[in-house]
Amino acid sequence: MKVRVLACLGIFCFLALSATGCVSSGGQQGYSGVVPHDGILYLGSMDGKIMAANASARSEELPFPSADGEWSFAITVPSKSILSCGSSSKPDSIYATPLVVDGSVCVGTYGGKVLMLRSSARNQDLSFPHLRSGEWIYPRTEDVIGPIVGSPVVVNDTVYVCSSDGKVYALDITYGDEKWISAPLGDKLWTTPMVKDEAIYVSTFDGHIYALSAEDGNLLPWVFEAETGFVSSPVLYEDIVFVGSFDSKLHAVRIGDDKPLWEFLGGNWFWAAPLVSDGIVYAGCLDGKVYALDTERGKESWEFDTGGRIVSSPILVDDSLVVATEPGNVFVINPKTGSGEMIANPDDSQNGKSLIDARIQSALCVLDGIVYIRAQDNCLYAVDVAKREIKLKFSLA
Amino acid sequence: MADLWSLIILDPMLNGLLALSGVLPREAQFGLAIIILTVVVRLASTPLVLRQLKSTKAMQDMQPKLQELQKKYAKNKQKLQQEMMKVYKEAGVNPIGCMWPMLVQFPIWIALYQSIMKALATTPENLLDLSRHLYSWEIVNQTIPVNSHFLWLDLGQPDHTLVLAVLVGGTMWLQQKMTTAPSLDPRQQSTSKMMLLMMPFMFGMFTLMFPSGLPLFWLASNVIGIVTQYFVTGGWGYLKAPPSAHPGLRGGR
Repeated sequence: MKVRVLACLGIFCFLALSATGCVSSGGQQGYSGVVPHDGILYLGSMDGKIMAANASARSEELPFPSADGEWSFAITVPSKSILSCGSSSKPDSIYATPLVVDGSVCVGTYGGKVLMLRSSARNQDLSFPHLRSGEWIYPRTEDVIGPIVGSPVVVNDTVYVCSSDGKVYALDITYGDEKWISAPLGDKLWTTPMVKDEAIYVSTFDGHIYALSAEDGNLLPWVFEAETGFVSSPVLYEDIVFVGSFDSKLHAVRIGDDKPLWEFLGGNWFWAAPLVSDGIVYAGCLDGKVYALDTERGKESWEFDTGGRIVSSPILVDDSLVVATEPGNVFVINPKTGSGEMIANPDDSQNGKSLIDARIQSALCVLDGIVYIRAQDNCLYAVDVAKREIKLKFSLA
Repeated sequence: MADLWSLIILDPMLNGLLALSGVLPREAQFGLAIIILTVVVRLASTPLVLRQLKSTKAMQDMQPKLQELQKKYAKNKQKLQQEMMKVYKEAGVNPIGCMWPMLVQFPIWIALYQSIMKALATTPENLLDLSRHLYSWEIVNQTIPVNSHFLWLDLGQPDHTLVLAVLVGGTMWLQQKMTTAPSLDPRQQSTSKMMLLMMPFMFGMFTLMFPSGLPLFWLASNVIGIVTQYFVTGGWGYLKAPPSAHPGLRGGR
């Protein structure tokens, strides 16, 4: 009988351990946006790859990577489970939109690494980091910093990146050496920092906007404190910071002031960073509306209801404002009048569902009048704004 | 169906949890809120728990009689069923009566579990999803994101110190030991022995895997269960009682 009990117990232990090894700990998928440079689109995929796709040559039929300038690089992190399912590493998650500087691609990962990839080295599939090509990884050891959600920013010879450990990191652009690390500024920093006039501005979940010296990371005298936390990445226009908060407000804060210039109440959070152009703030809200507000007074010029939550920031394409909603619809809006229309999302001939049949949470980008969108089905879509049509669907898997 | 679940059960509990966090000291707000809400839910379900305990005890006391019947009518299943139903009827016990109070509590516990996981919003996707469930109460907006630090724990991350795992496993074992009647039937004995070890072990393992806000809820629930058991059944139950001390078993020999 004892043997039977022990055998059952052993089987049970094995199953329990297997379960702990196989169950995902976070469920994070990542929503890296797309960024164009010299005709190449750089983006993070949902399976932890940084990819470079040739925008003009890319088609659904063409194997990837095959066109000029195309490559992909898989980023992995050690698996932290007690028992892993066969391998000791898993794909990293990428939320940050990559940044392209002088032929190099800089990206922060949710696994807590900052990578500088050189297109020339990735084209040849050299081992990473290929130091002679100018590639690096931070931290260089197996250590990691907190998960990175916001995109890195480069000014002069420094990469600035925020991390979930509440700190801002300044890294040398050539070698990835640490220049400074700020003091913890809050619980998590999921934002993209802003840099202006030798100062870095970050907003925090606990409702502060901090200004740091770009030189040494020390706090500058001005700090803005709100009643609730800030949910969106801040945007700087002239000397005004625009940022959304957890109480469904969009705040405009003039640098140096203790009180907001104005506040605008939406129907839900302003998750996406607003777009500011020619004295107008275009803010997409989780209530499904796009609001056009005057930068100085916050007066509403118009609002456009898309009917779906807006997670991605709007972008301007020539004279049109393009907005993608989380349910997968794309709208073209006249930025002067606020009138707009939805781009037809026809049925896919292969499965009978809408062509874009996935959530859109990533940052959009525009190249030669074409808007590129990475949706949560791990596909890249190209939308011709002038023709009001979806012209390409390309699987990143 | 999912919308109905959210509207009726999940959203009220989630917003209640966040509102409760909002009135507690910021340093330990969410940890305390989990414990307090667990206590409140436990207290609210006390009548059901008492009913379940009484039914379970009555069923255990009937075991010797039922075993006798099983031996007597081993070859006549129909007669066995009839006789067993008679015994149940005489004792005024419904054989599935000890189950339904537990079933009624299930949705509440599942909603509490979901509320904790949603409120912690450990990933950007989770935070984005949280926005779907929030009321426009000022106190809720001011609480988000919750302070996930409590004692030595980051409630949004698994606790790798083993302390919480041992506490969860230990309290679960203690609670089970207090409530599980020892059996003289060798087959039942081995099964109950296995269960007594397996469940605490499994939950201890889960503690190492899940964000520690959830194991904190298990721990609070176990401790409340032990206290309830102690006062309702008067003492440590079957924890100290040897098999022969069980009145039902004595009667059956």
